[in-house]
Amino acid sequence: MSSNDVRDMLDLPDSGSTRPAKKQKLTAPRPVLKGLAREIQNLSGDNPIAIVPEVSAFKKKRYGSRKPVAKWEQKPFKNSARDGDPLVLRHWRRKEEKPPAPPVGEDGNVEMEEAVAPIAEEMVEDSTFAKYNVRVNVPEYTEEEYNAKLQNQDWTKLETDHLVGLAYEYDLRWPVIWDRYEPPLPAPDSADSLLGLVLPPKIRTVEDLKARYYSVAATMMAERKPPIKMNSAEFNLHEVMSNFNPAIETARKKFAEAAFQRTKEEAREEESLLLELKRILARSDKLNEERRELYARLEAPPSTGNIGIYSSSQGLQQLLQQLMQASKKRKSLMGSEGISPAAGPSQQASFERRDSSVRESISGPSGSNNNKKGPPPGPSERRQLTEEEEKIYGVSHHERIGASGAAFRHEKISKPLISKSSVQQTKIANVLVELEIPNRLIMPTVEVGEAYESLLQSINTLLDARKLADKLDGEIKLARQQKEEREKAARLERGEAVEGDEVEGNNKTEKEKSVARSVRGGSVARSVRGGSQGHKRSASVLSATSEQNFQRSKEYRLRH
Amino acid sequence: MAASQPLTSSIQPTDASPPCHTPRRINIANHCPTTDEVSAIILDPGYSSVRAGFAGEDTPKSFVNSHYGVSDAGKFTFGDDAIHNPLAGLDIRNPMSKEGIVEDWDTATQLWEYAITSRLTSFKQSDPRTNGLNDPSEIAMDVEEVEEGERTLGEHPLLMTETAWNTTKNREKAIEIAMESWGCPAFWLARNSVMAAFGGGKATSLVIDVGASTASVISIHDGLILKKSVQKSPVAGNWLSSQLRSLFASTEPKANLVPHFDIASKTPVDAGAPAQATYRKYENKIPDSFRAFEEERVLTEFKESVVQVWNGMGRLNTVNANGVSNTDYVKSQPGRVFEFPDGANQMWGVERMSVAEGLFDERAALPIPNEPALTKAQTIPEMVRQSLAAVDIDLRPHLLGNVVVTGGTTLINGFTDRLHNELTAMYPGARVKIQAAGLTAERRFGSWIGGSILGSLGTFHQMWISRKEYEEFGVNVVEKRCK
Ligand SMILES: Nc1ncnc2c1ncn2[C@@H]1O[C@H](COP(=O)(O)OP(=O)(O)OP(=O)(O)O)[C@@H](O)[C@H]1O
Ligand SMILES: [Mg+2]
Repeated sequence: MSSNDVRDMLDLPDSGSTRPAKKQKLTAPRPVLKGLAREIQNLSGDNPIAIVPEVSAFKKKRYGSRKPVAKWEQKPFKNSARDGDPLVLRHWRRKEEKPPAPPVGEDGNVEMEEAVAPIAEEMVEDSTFAKYNVRVNVPEYTEEEYNAKLQNQDWTKLETDHLVGLAYEYDLRWPVIWDRYEPPLPAPDSADSLLGLVLPPKIRTVEDLKARYYSVAATMMAERKPPIKMNSAEFNLHEVMSNFNPAIETARKKFAEAAFQRTKEEAREEESLLLELKRILARSDKLNEERRELYARLEAPPSTGNIGIYSSSQGLQQLLQQLMQASKKRKSLMGSEGISPAAGPSQQASFERRDSSVRESISGPSGSNNNKKGPPPGPSERRQLTEEEEKIYGVSHHERIGASGAAFRHEKISKPLISKSSVQQTKIANVLVELEIPNRLIMPTVEVGEAYESLLQSINTLLDARKLADKLDGEIKLARQQKEEREKAARLERGEAVEGDEVEGNNKTEKEKSVARSVRGGSVARSVRGGSQGHKRSASVLSATSEQNFQRSKEYRLRH
Repeated sequence: MAASQPLTSSIQPTDASPPCHTPRRINIANHCPTTDEVSAIILDPGYSSVRAGFAGEDTPKSFVNSHYGVSDAGKFTFGDDAIHNPLAGLDIRNPMSKEGIVEDWDTATQLWEYAITSRLTSFKQSDPRTNGLNDPSEIAMDVEEVEEGERTLGEHPLLMTETAWNTTKNREKAIEIAMESWGCPAFWLARNSVMAAFGGGKATSLVIDVGASTASVISIHDGLILKKSVQKSPVAGNWLSSQLRSLFASTEPKANLVPHFDIASKTPVDAGAPAQATYRKYENKIPDSFRAFEEERVLTEFKESVVQVWNGMGRLNTVNANGVSNTDYVKSQPGRVFEFPDGANQMWGVERMSVAEGLFDERAALPIPNEPALTKAQTIPEMVRQSLAAVDIDLRPHLLGNVVVTGGTTLINGFTDRLHNELTAMYPGARVKIQAAGLTAERRFGSWIGGSILGSLGTFHQMWISRKEYEEFGVNVVEKRCK
């Protein structure tokens, strides 16, 4: 059976025709085989079976090119961490290649020595793990030291010894020390048994053991090396040990125990409380987000259009007219476009509302809550505001409107600034920056506005005073210079300087200085008093800064 | 901790003849910075089996049944190959007590020697009387033989495991045998619970070991058992076997526990139908102990294939939210069929869960004739509670997060799930994490594997009790050193 027969059976096209050239190439070097081998080869068809022929050359190479096998030996080693115990264990190690034997030189001892001590004690290598053997240092004390320093009515020396021994043995693993703490019974000739009472060993808590051990350790540490001479690590350790408070530890453990022994219900309750907390936090996040958005909106840049013309009552009237006309026009436009008359009134209402919103947007950021609501629909529905509400909404009643007519409140704030020269304006701005007050109020309520106004006044006064002071300063300086020059001239005329004069001159300058100071001080005082009410100003500053603080903290919270 | 790293031998070819330590293996070990192989032997004897092997390997090479046979002539037979022969008329005994500690030292020594020499050190000529290959009566006593015996472990340090409740006398006897009879250069006695923790890769852990004779719950801190936390009870493999016997006796019709050696041939029968088998007749008397031992094998088969622990919510008798008790729910589910050696077969429904329920709920335990009823304190959850209550509070959450489960009986289906449910119900505030080896062998050999890890640690070699120390301080050196 050949591969062609297989193809026949499986209905495969004869591949021989597709690549005749290759086939020829492949078949050409094939050795002529006989019997079963040929049958097998025929089965494989065009893809010869991957049988690697046995070639003796390979074998030779494999073994010829190899280095000699690495030699291993069971090498003895000892462990220096075993406190001098001579236990020698054996592990497999690579045999060290011995350098060629030293030639027999002038003294033949070399060979001798090697033969005599093949495995001398020193030649047994040490375990590489011996270095990991570290032990804690526990306090050591003599009988006298104990009696002098470490006496404790709650602890016998026997118990203390036992405790310190355990601390060493278990490397200060307290749970284990407590577990294994079984102090030896006092010897029969000790004082207790003479009195006829052999007390059963006290049941001690981990805290008791720790407290005793730390006090012993701290005492002995200070004994060996006075605290002043300790390095910082030692000192810290000493501090920690001598300040160990078992009561606090016990309380903490009690708390931990209670937490650990919570019932299912308590655990569930705690879980639900945690969930609630999470929800509250999430909600407050949302709230903060909203608040932030609100502030962002309040801080939006004012409309750039010139609104100066609307600031007077006449201007407002004009604006109203304009808007009315615009809405009317639109209404008629709508009507002509075939809106059913039934929809009229509601449509109108909505327009009116929109009008009011337009007005609102024009009135700008200074508009407070009351402005948000459109004009009341009718006089019948007008509500009488209580005094508190009036205060909240910032309603104020005026006998008569001032010469300039009705004005927006924000005008009041920006006016003192606008009216000033640009130099003055920057100066005011600088002061505001110094006070950390934004030159645009964040929450311009009536009170804040008033406070801000008075603050601005104060700043003005301050600036005036400073200007005056500077001017005086300058004049004084000038006068002094002139005077000095004159004196110099006079001295030159007289020859050498007379001391008394100098002193007098000094006094004079002193006086002048103090005058200048007093002037400056006065101006400051005045500027403080300058506002209508001193405390109000500070209140406004406070409110402004507190607002800012709030915002800052909010931002902080948002950022984190 | 080095214990968490894989055993080096897992990448080592297992072909080499037992005692021949190929340098190849050591080479691999050398790449591992914490191990240092000194060809120590780890011996982990238990009630059901003795495990022995070289440190650094991942399974014990030698695994020998703890039961041994005594012929009428008083000849001892060790190992599974020989003790299951009914023709020998062997009386089956166990050198271990019901508490899993050595009771019969003479035989235990022979058994362990057999375990070591038959697989590990047979390369050297061992004592022909004890290698299990010869009939001692045929060998003349010889002075030389004693010396042969002494060299059993002449080159191998021996690390042996013991239970946490082993007696001082027993411990001293162990070192005496290692030093005097076997000539070990060094010896160490380790607690099997600590070794199981190491085997699970933990130094601090709550070890729950449910073997054949005893179940124990022990808290381990930094590789040291906390003695006050040791809890043990008989609810283990043998107890479960007794439960099964009680169950078989109480079913209708009675399930007939016939061991394999009794059956010559059987014909298949329908479920619940009486068995149709021809029984074998033996000329010699079959001792009861042999029959019980062979029955035990059938019971272990039953445990492996049918028994399950209820691992849903609550306990087996808890009534769930729909007003249906878990028992009723299990009854509504398909059961499992078990065919006894005589061909009788039966569907086991809720019974396959109720036999094991006593591990967790003492009220669900079936009464065992001539045995006191199970107490609450003997159940596994209660042992955990007691064990944890005896350790420092700061340690408890940590222990619950590192629970290591080991021992053959923990292999019952659903055991770890149930344990997890019970522990989370008991300590709802703590995070419970159970570490249980997935492989059967690793679960059963947990303590041996831990010993294998410890025995190959380079830092451990400073711990060994050397021959010199033994000679200097005597047998009680073991009490001083192996804490
Ligand atoms: N797959 C299994 N399912 C259930 N039980 C099993 C399974 N495999 C083994 N066992 C049981 O486990 C027990 C043996 O466990 P293990 O080898 O841990 O005990 P041991 O260490 O020898 O005994 P002990 O710890 O009591 O001294 C036997 O009772 C056996 O019936
Ligand atoms: Mg065990």
